[in-house]
Amino acid sequence: MFKLNLKIALRNLWRNRGITSINVGGLAIALAAFILVVLYFTYETSFDKTNPNYNNIYVVGRIEPDFKTNYTSPPLAKAIKQNFPEVENAGITKRGFFEFTMKNGNNTLFAKNFMQADFNAAKILDLKPTGGLEKPAGVADRLSYLSEENMKVLFPNKTDNKPEMVGMGPSNSGITSKINGSIANNLHSNITFDGISIGNEIGQGENYGYNNYTTYIQVKPGTDVANLEQKITDLYRKELLKGETDQKTIEEIKGVSTFLDPLANLHLRPKAGNDAPYKILIALFVLGILILVIACINFTNLSIAQATKRAKEVGVKKVMGAYRFQLTTQFLTEIFIQCFVATILALTIAELALPYFNNLFQVNLSIWNIENNLFWQLPLILCLITFVAGTYPALVLSGFKPALVLKGNFSTSKQSSWLRNGLLIFQFSIAVIFIIGLFIINAQLKYMRTQDLGFTANQVVYIKNISLFHKPEKFAPVRDKILKIQGIKSVTVATGVPDGSENGGNGYTVNGVQKSIDFVDVDFDYFETLDIKLKEGRFFSKSFSTDTTNSVVINESAVAKYGIKNPVGQTIRGCNIDYKIVGVAKDFKAQGFESAVQPTIYAIKNPCGNSKTKIMVKIEENRMADALAALKAQWPQINPQDGEDFRYEFLDELYGKLFKKQEQLQSVFFAAALLTIFIAILGLFAFAKYITNGRIKEIAVRKILGASDIQIFKLINSSFFIMVLVANVISWPVAYILTKKWLETFAYRIDLPVLPFVSSATITILLAVITVSIQAKKAVKANPVDALKYE
Amino acid sequence: MIQLTNIEKYYANKGVKNYVLRLVTTTIKQGEFVSIMGPSGAGKSTLLNIIGMLEEPTYGTYEFLGEDVTSLNERKRIELYRNHIGFVFQAYHLIDEMTVYENIEAPLLYKKIGSSERASRIADLLDRFNIVAKKDLFPNQLSGGQQQLVGIARALAAQPSIILADEPTGNLQSAQAEEIMTLFKKLNQEDGITIIQVTHSEKNAQYGNRILHIADGVVKEDLAVLS
Repeated sequence: MFKLNLKIALRNLWRNRGITSINVGGLAIALAAFILVVLYFTYETSFDKTNPNYNNIYVVGRIEPDFKTNYTSPPLAKAIKQNFPEVENAGITKRGFFEFTMKNGNNTLFAKNFMQADFNAAKILDLKPTGGLEKPAGVADRLSYLSEENMKVLFPNKTDNKPEMVGMGPSNSGITSKINGSIANNLHSNITFDGISIGNEIGQGENYGYNNYTTYIQVKPGTDVANLEQKITDLYRKELLKGETDQKTIEEIKGVSTFLDPLANLHLRPKAGNDAPYKILIALFVLGILILVIACINFTNLSIAQATKRAKEVGVKKVMGAYRFQLTTQFLTEIFIQCFVATILALTIAELALPYFNNLFQVNLSIWNIENNLFWQLPLILCLITFVAGTYPALVLSGFKPALVLKGNFSTSKQSSWLRNGLLIFQFSIAVIFIIGLFIINAQLKYMRTQDLGFTANQVVYIKNISLFHKPEKFAPVRDKILKIQGIKSVTVATGVPDGSENGGNGYTVNGVQKSIDFVDVDFDYFETLDIKLKEGRFFSKSFSTDTTNSVVINESAVAKYGIKNPVGQTIRGCNIDYKIVGVAKDFKAQGFESAVQPTIYAIKNPCGNSKTKIMVKIEENRMADALAALKAQWPQINPQDGEDFRYEFLDELYGKLFKKQEQLQSVFFAAALLTIFIAILGLFAFAKYITNGRIKEIAVRKILGASDIQIFKLINSSFFIMVLVANVISWPVAYILTKKWLETFAYRIDLPVLPFVSSATITILLAVITVSIQAKKAVKANPVDALKYE
Repeated sequence: MIQLTNIEKYYANKGVKNYVLRLVTTTIKQGEFVSIMGPSGAGKSTLLNIIGMLEEPTYGTYEFLGEDVTSLNERKRIELYRNHIGFVFQAYHLIDEMTVYENIEAPLLYKKIGSSERASRIADLLDRFNIVAKKDLFPNQLSGGQQQLVGIARALAAQPSIILADEPTGNLQSAQAEEIMTLFKKLNQEDGITIIQVTHSEKNAQYGNRILHIADGVVKEDLAVLS
């Protein structure tokens, strides 16, 4: 019996292979999207889950009156461990704050984040050096490990796990350091590093002011965390108050408190940060479920639209003695087969899409992984979708009354319920929102790419360097040597490059008004290298000796902030120096498009600033390769201190990274728009098929009465046309609000255009009319006699 | 075998009762070959549907094999379908996705007949109706008469005691119709199967041994056919 039913099912699916493939394909695509979303969701929510004490680890953070932070000072961890027995362990870590080079012969490694951790923190965070975690011998001893990947870079042929000596900095520095071995750097963790150095105690002698560390505690299972949090706050205040006499400071300390943030929350919704990633993830998950559910409902509708073809079979089988449940089982089996095929197909699609997905979200997910939860989730999902998509059609089909269907002119109802209409409108509304969103993201990105930035990043190369060029006279010989290379137009050094990073800020006074503005310390040719336009006055020049002592250039925003008329020649005071404004630069978008141009002061001399290390070189375009090769070859002579490690980046590429977030969003919206429109069209297809099937007789009668084909097309299309129009009208305000909100995150943005709204309507209506007409064509072209035969 | 007493069927529409059948009382005995005749809309098919338990009468009692089946639950009704009743339709209603062989086999599967028994019964039927060569064809590859032969073979497969046929020759040409009617007569006389058919044709009715004339839902005449 089962075999026969299976045979019928397969023959039936094959006979209607067009519909079957649309049905299975639609479900598969939605399921593939869902699989990707589930994979991503599982990945994002399981950071550090491999830690055996995952649920008992907390970060101790501080709440200051105007901000929250995870940065705390070394003594806090010790104090917590001494005072509270429910805290099993407490430790601290410190991030590496600057990049340094490590060498082994010709192999060079640039370690951006060489972390420090005390032994307790290493234990809490389950750090795993190859060969196991060891306790450093003495108080001052450190055990240093390099991540396995970095170890490979420095020691490609190393097979044992013996300690190695590496050179630190340039080879002529003579500094060496011992690396005790390699350590697994788990990218699926909040704690990642290039290397790590573990000591029994770190940050000795640093008191409560040194808030450069992260404090981790591991509590005993069942600890009352809210209570502990309060106790730690009390302890922290008590510690800070020790020996404090100044009444104002004492008052301030009373406003400070601490919080405990579970390790589980650290990746997505840290208390000292925002929970936007978490919200986005949940939204993505909901969208994934929604797409799957809608695809299931479409599947259901299409199955029922096909029902007339099966009605006779049901009637005959019933009079032959089939129980209803036997028929229900038969139809469920058929739907299960389709869902099963869809699942296999979905896995294939997901596998094919995964590289793009990984690239887009900067993750490394894979489906074929033993520990993957998908292996038990997928059969469950399969049963669930079979149930959701199959129950209704199976019940409807098996419920046909033989007396009705066997009379020969049976047709399914042409009634369309508000539920069905609502679903269709809903599907199109979602698609419209994504289409509008996509258009507007495209427009904004195009604007960002074509808009005048106020400076030219093309052909500017940013050279990384660790030598400090604070004084212009120290940089002068470097500049001279670089300029000798053919094709190099200009050279400068500064504290920052216009790559979107933030500059330092300080208080400056003009005419007695003090305001905080950004400062960038530069050298000669800074403005020329970046091709920044002058508004009035002049830029720095070697012919003015005062330029290296007290001349400054400010930008238009700074002029506006102080409200100075005739700024050139006026005095601006900061860092105990009276500067003279020699020029005003036009605003340029160093920070990208999201934040407005900051009021900024550019000085050559600034004792309060950081060291100038960032060298920028403007090179002629057609000499680029030669000039870079020459620079690399001559770098040891040009910059002896940092000579071996010539590293550079193209400024335009660096600046282009500012658009990455938007480009990512664009890709997501592109995929989502395609997916939702596809699913909506699928739903429409099923619905149109259902409706036309129900109206075949009506159409036949109308044709006999003299209706032309066009009139019948119009008749069938009109209700769908209205529904799609309603969907557009519903989505427009939603899309308007959402896109407006999004655009408001940009300081420089396009005006909300009308075209996307019109285009989305045109696209959806056109697609709808085409889809419906394809269905209607069959009914229109059919000979009316066939439809009316049994009358 | 079949005892109908005061069977009524009407559809209420805005309080007005449209009668399809009125006070039909009749008895059909085992081994009879009854033809139900009458003009269009007289209630012939409805009567047959009620006998076949596809529709329920609004009023009256119906006993099948001495059991009141007026309102029977699904399970009991299906038991009757499996063991006692075979249906033959005007439009044949073979299942398009099944071959001739599978169509005939289907009722046996529902009756849970063992596979060797199934094979022998089907072989028997194919043989008897001269359609052995057609057993692997699908219904749309057969002529109307051949399809109806398969339809009858399917109805006989479960060895029913009664066959209900709703205009079995309505879609057939006269030569094929004659063949089918001869077959019915043979089944009735040689195998003792009770047959009830609805027909328009006086000629077809002559194959049976009793004619019920119905008009406007009322049995007008109950005649015996003299052979």
